[in-house]
Amino acid sequence: MTAAPPRARRVPGWLAVAVRRVVSAVAVLWAAATTAYVALLLAPGDTVDILVGDGADTPEIRARIVAEWGLDRPEVVRYLSYLGRLLQGDLGRSYQLQRDVGEILAGQVGPTVRLTLAAAAVGVVLALVLAVATAGRSVWPRRVVSAAELVAVSVPQFVIGIVLLFVFSFSLGWFPVSGAADPQALVLPALALGLPVAGVLGQVLREGLERALEQPFAVTARSRGLGERAVVARHALRHALLPAVTLAGWFTGVLLGGAVITETLFGRPGLGRVTMQAVTGKDMPVVMAVVILSAAVYVTISALLDLAYRLIDPRLRSA
Amino acid sequence: MKVIRGTLSLVIVAALAACGSQAPAAPAGATSLTWAVETEPITFNPHQWAQNKARLLVFNQFDALVARGEDGSFVPWLAKSWQVSDDGRTYTFKLRDDVVFQDGTKFDAAAVKANLDKLREPGYNPAVASIQLHAFDKAEVLSPTTLKVTLKEPDGLFLDFLSSPLAAQVSPKSLKEAKDLKAGGPDVVGTGPFILDRYVKGQEVHYTRNPKYNWAPQGSAHQGPAYLSEITYRFLPQAAVRVGALTSGQVQVIEGVAATDIQSIKSDPSLSFQSALNSGTAFSYYFNTSHPPFDDKRVRQAFREAVDLDAVLASVYQGTAKRAWSIVAETSPFYDRSLEKTYGGDVAKANALLDAAGWTERDAEGYRVKDGKRLTVRSVASAPYVRDRRDILAQAIQAQVKQTAGIDFQVKIVDQGTAQKAIEDDAYEIFENSRGDSDAGAALNLILPEKAAINRTRYADAELDGWLAKASASSDTEERKALYAKVQRKVVTDEAIVFPIYVPSDQIAASKNVQGLGFDPVSGTPRGAYDVRIAA
Repeated sequence: MTAAPPRARRVPGWLAVAVRRVVSAVAVLWAAATTAYVALLLAPGDTVDILVGDGADTPEIRARIVAEWGLDRPEVVRYLSYLGRLLQGDLGRSYQLQRDVGEILAGQVGPTVRLTLAAAAVGVVLALVLAVATAGRSVWPRRVVSAAELVAVSVPQFVIGIVLLFVFSFSLGWFPVSGAADPQALVLPALALGLPVAGVLGQVLREGLERALEQPFAVTARSRGLGERAVVARHALRHALLPAVTLAGWFTGVLLGGAVITETLFGRPGLGRVTMQAVTGKDMPVVMAVVILSAAVYVTISALLDLAYRLIDPRLRSA
Repeated sequence: MKVIRGTLSLVIVAALAACGSQAPAAPAGATSLTWAVETEPITFNPHQWAQNKARLLVFNQFDALVARGEDGSFVPWLAKSWQVSDDGRTYTFKLRDDVVFQDGTKFDAAAVKANLDKLREPGYNPAVASIQLHAFDKAEVLSPTTLKVTLKEPDGLFLDFLSSPLAAQVSPKSLKEAKDLKAGGPDVVGTGPFILDRYVKGQEVHYTRNPKYNWAPQGSAHQGPAYLSEITYRFLPQAAVRVGALTSGQVQVIEGVAATDIQSIKSDPSLSFQSALNSGTAFSYYFNTSHPPFDDKRVRQAFREAVDLDAVLASVYQGTAKRAWSIVAETSPFYDRSLEKTYGGDVAKANALLDAAGWTERDAEGYRVKDGKRLTVRSVASAPYVRDRRDILAQAIQAQVKQTAGIDFQVKIVDQGTAQKAIEDDAYEIFENSRGDSDAGAALNLILPEKAAINRTRYADAELDGWLAKASASSDTEERKALYAKVQRKVVTDEAIVFPIYVPSDQIAASKNVQGLGFDPVSGTPRGAYDVRIAA
């Protein structure tokens, strides 16, 4: 560090941070792409077998498939050409669906984004409302809510979805089972996906709130004559939010993973369903594209989280 | 809810009819319905078709040269008639002259030739080129309505191929210009009664009626355009969700009903239910004869005797599964009925056979042992192909063979790659499979001959191969019947290399007012929507 030329000192701090972030983001993406590539390479089963499928398997057919997909080239060459094409934004062609992967995913991103955002909203709003309403309150409401949260966390998403469907779609007829365009069709899948998130988040928030409410600053605030509600909203919540925000990275995983189950159950289009189909069919180009896309989402979210920390916790701003 | 939905669709249909000035005179009023299906097709190009579950969609959009009647015979469709030369090598087709593709291209002999040539193009569909078209030599256009096809050798399965989805006629314009030809979709068109106009991947596919359609196969329930003006197929992979969607009126038809739901649907007065057995081969366990323990015929027989299959099927499928007695499904004309009740379910015999085969000792867990090795057999199934609760079925069989005969049957459901690896490494003793080929002979050709693509028994028998080859080349049903009877007796009775379990079936449940639903007589899978109508 000491050997750095004096000019380097003139680079503004925010720029250095930004550059560091971009470099690390690229590194993460490269690592994700490579890990996916290696993992699928090591997974049992030969790509040619997958492409041949269940039907005819003759040397002649195999030779044609090998030539068509360029599988006869050395592994390193294939890996480098894969990275090269990736840099140009070319995600390759699906083995199974015989279409460009970029095109397939482009059609599926929208429904999944809508679903995960709606589910995240359900999770955050429910958790906030319940935590604020029950933190430090009398024992009974708190116990009931806390038990409900435990159920939401422990019951498999699939079961939550089925129960929601049976009650609100098949019996009451309030919401349709499938369809992506209709906003009504989004309600049940968003609930199925968002409830477990609300469960975890609610518990973390309430615990944070209760701890914050016992801190001296809360006592000070109360002594200034602030009502309990204002103490919670203006002072305690900010402290309780930090651990909750840390969990947001984890939610991204839960939501993306849960989308696989939710989309299949509700007959919704989306990345989850495509991924499921691709993994079982060992459709390498699609699986890798999804991995890279997920990594990109993670990187973006963690960058946003960093920003959120700085906003919530003033101590981090100078760091 | 139902009323509102119905009115809404009426309004939409009325609006559509008002927009299109060339709206056809609908045969039974403008109607639409939604049909929930289990499987989303991997491709909409019929030439790439590989999923029996997607068969019902193919003939909405496409027609073939020949169709098959209720009795399985070949009947005219886009081909008005055909002649086969005495040596069985030349087929001369007379084509209809009034057929147009949905993109306006005229259907003629050149179009058929373009389809056949395309299928032989390297890399387009290598499996069809080397199996179904192995005997194909050339197609010649004699006139716009006359096509001559020459084969290198007689092929008894050629007409069956021409009637299959794989030989459905695609517009030559699509073959040349479609952007994603192999994937199919709205820009890969045929001559069929419905036009695919919208596909939302992961959700649904939507068809509108082809108003010009006037070339239904001979023997159809009606002629002219389809009754429905629109049909939507929604992809709902979960059986319980499909049933819920039907009972709550969100869809009008579903296919694929779980055994557990059949009774409640049958007892619902507003719903109808029908099912049909599939064609092809029965769902069977194939014994790997290449290494112990199933290299010993007595052990193969013992496994079959150790299972009380009727009881297992009754408990797993609640009496809705039809037990199989032969590798060939009983819907096939080649099914050998004399095999019924000739084996199975004799526990004493199973144990005697195993004793005789030297598996006399027992280990601490009660499994049989020979030379210090446990009597273990492994089945490896690829998850994408596991349907009909076959995993539960395997567990039931597992429990039985352990209890009755001390056989350690290990069941693994794995991804496709792992399954293929196990097969390559010969690291399995049981392979489970059923095939839905419309001609059972085509399925047997893939499974039984020594060099067959999915010969998982690793059993080789020149005599057997000879019978199969002879039967494939013949177009004489009686001769084929006699040959396939010999084949079935050999593999089921004499050699016991296969354990037939049940005949797969398909189910349709629908609102009572939906009529004209049914099954393809050849495949036993649900028919397309051409004859479907909504009663007033």
